[in-house]
Amino acid sequence: MRLGLARRSLSMFPPILTRAYSVQPISRTSISPPPASLKPQTPLFLRPPTHSATISDLLKWQKWAKTLASSVGSHFTHLDDGPDTTLLHRELNWLLQDALENPKLPLSHVGTNEVVKLRAEMEDLYVLWKQRIEERRPFQYVVGCEHWRDLVLSVEEGVLIPRPETELIVDLVGGLVKENEELREGLWADLGTGSGALAIGIARILGPFGSVIATDLSPVAVAVASYNVQRYNLQDKIEIKLGSWFEPLKNVKGQFVGLVSNPPYIPSNHIRGLQAEVAKHEPRLALDGGSNGMDDLLHLCHGASSMLKRGGFFAFETNGEKQCKFLVDYMQKECDGSFCDVDIVSDFAGNKRFVTGFSGP
Amino acid sequence: MSSSLCMSQSLLRSFLIIIRRNCSGIVVSSSNPSSNYYYDHPFHPRSFVIYQRRNQGDGICRRITAASFSGYNTTAASINCNSTSTSNGNSGDGDDGPRTSGGGGREFLIMSDEKLLSQCEMDFFRVRGPGGQHRNKRESAVRLKHLPTGISGQASEDRSQHKNRASALARLRTKLALKVRNTVNLDAYSPPQELLQILPKKSTIRGSDIGSQIGPNNPKFSLGMQALIDLIFAVEGSIADAAKKLGLSTGALSRLILSDDSLRMVVNEYRESKGMKPLK
Repeated sequence: MRLGLARRSLSMFPPILTRAYSVQPISRTSISPPPASLKPQTPLFLRPPTHSATISDLLKWQKWAKTLASSVGSHFTHLDDGPDTTLLHRELNWLLQDALENPKLPLSHVGTNEVVKLRAEMEDLYVLWKQRIEERRPFQYVVGCEHWRDLVLSVEEGVLIPRPETELIVDLVGGLVKENEELREGLWADLGTGSGALAIGIARILGPFGSVIATDLSPVAVAVASYNVQRYNLQDKIEIKLGSWFEPLKNVKGQFVGLVSNPPYIPSNHIRGLQAEVAKHEPRLALDGGSNGMDDLLHLCHGASSMLKRGGFFAFETNGEKQCKFLVDYMQKECDGSFCDVDIVSDFAGNKRFVTGFSGP
Repeated sequence: MSSSLCMSQSLLRSFLIIIRRNCSGIVVSSSNPSSNYYYDHPFHPRSFVIYQRRNQGDGICRRITAASFSGYNTTAASINCNSTSTSNGNSGDGDDGPRTSGGGGREFLIMSDEKLLSQCEMDFFRVRGPGGQHRNKRESAVRLKHLPTGISGQASEDRSQHKNRASALARLRTKLALKVRNTVNLDAYSPPQELLQILPKKSTIRGSDIGSQIGPNNPKFSLGMQALIDLIFAVEGSIADAAKKLGLSTGALSRLILSDDSLRMVVNEYRESKGMKPLK
C-alpha cells in the first residue's frame, strides 16, 4: 500500500508543502499589493492543469486513499473530536474535485487507459493525503482553500481557517445595511482579519461608497487576505493594514460605522486539548485569548467606543455563553454608557456566540 | 438524480397533503420589531409558528429557523392547510400585524427564496460541542423542513453550507410541486401560464406568445409540473382526458410525463393506486 512513497520527501512538492518564510521587517502599514517576500500560495483548484494521469492510476490512488481513511474509523473522534471515516471520505472527493481539471468528469465512465489532466502530480496526491491522515494536516491547508459562505478563500499555514459560525456576522451586518444608508455607505473595520473572510463578506454587501479596513498582526495573514481581496476584485473597497488591532487605525479614529472581529478567544490552557487539526496546525496567534480567553475581546471593547461613530455597530465572536455574558455585563457596568442595545446572538448550532451592540447612548 | 431519490419516500402518503384553495387561505402575519435589529429574538413568541420538535434521540441535530440564520426578517408564517404534518400551528390570532391571504400549494412555489426559507426550519448535521475556533470539521449538510407542509429537502454534497442550503431549497421546491395538490375546477378549466410553458409546441391551446418550451432543468419547471399533476389528479389519472384539456395527443402528454423521472413516478404511483397501468 505504500507505493514507494518512502522516497518522497516533503520538499519534493515545494508549492504546497514548503514555503520560504523569508519574512523581512515590514515598515509600511498598508500592504497592497503584498510584498514579494510573502507570496501567498495558489490554492490547488486554481493551479494550471499541467499534470496528467491515467484513469487507472487515479482509481488506484483513490482506492488507497479510501482504505487509509477507513483505517481511521472513529479513532480521531474518540481521541480529540477529530474527523471520522465518513467525513474523510467526503474530503477525499473534494480533494479529487480540486485536483481534476474537469471535476464533473464521472471517472467510472471513462476507459481506464484514458488520460486526465490534473492540477498536481499523481505522487503529490499521495503525499497530500498521507499528510491529511497521518499528520492531521487540516483539509483546507491540504487543498489551500476554504469554502465560506458563497466564497472560496485561499488559506494556508499561518492563517486561521474561517469557521462556518463566523458567516453569521455577515448576515447580521447584511440585515442592518439593508435598512440603513449610513451603515451601508460608511467605513467598516475587520480586526484580525486572517484570510480576509469577514472583510470580503461585508465589502460585497455594502453600497457603492461603503468600504472596509482590515487589520492583522500577522504578515502571512496580510498577504493571504490581500490575495483573496484581489481575487474578488475588491482592492478598491478593502484596505488591508498590518498591525495589532486598532493600532494601524489611529488616523481614522471615530470614523467607523461598524466594527467586526473574530479575535482569539480560547483560554491558553485549552489549546493543547483541541483536535489535532487545530492545535498542531493553526496559528496560535489566532486562537489563544490568554488565561481566560478574554484578553483580546476586552481590548476590543475598550477600543470600540472611541473608534465608532455614534450609532455605529459592533459584532464580536466569542467562545460561548460564559464569555458573552461576561462581556455584556462588563460593557454595561464598566464602559460608562458608551454602548447601547448590547446583546448576545446565538450561532446556528444554538451556542451563544456573538456580542453585538451600538455605540453611544 | 438525488431529487428523484428524495421523492421516492412516502409518495402515496404525501398525496394526502392537499391544500384546497377555497377552504383555507394562507395567513401570513409579520412581527415588525421596533428597531431594525431583529436578531435578538429569533424565537420571538409573536414571530414564529408553534411547531413540534421531533424527538431527536441523540440530540446531534440543532436547528434554528432558516429565517433567523439567513439574515432575513423573521417573518411569522402561520399557515393553515389540510395536512398530515404535525408541524402546522397557529400564532396569528390576536396579532395586529399585516395579513395577506391567498391560494394554496401554488403559493409556496411562487414565493421568493427568502419567503420560502422563512417558513422553514433548518437542521444542521453537526455534533454538539463548543464549535467556533475549537473545531475544524466540514459538516455542512443542511436539511430544510417546510413547516406548513412538513415536507423537507436536504443537501450535503457541497463543502459550503451556503451552497447546500441553495440546493436543499431547490429540492424542497421540487418536492412541494410533487406533493402539494391544488384543487382544479374541471368545468371551467383553462391551463395556467406556467403549465402552458412546459407543454410541447404542438399543443393546440398553446399560443405562440408562450415562448419556447421549458424543460425539467429550468427552475420554473416545478410550477408547471405542479399544475400538470393537479390536472391529472382532477381527471383521476386519465392521460387521455388530461391531454384533451391541454390540446395534446395522449402520446405527446405521455412523453412529457416520462421526460422527468420524478413526474413519472408521481403519476404512475397515482395511476396504480387507481388500478390503472403505469405509463412506460
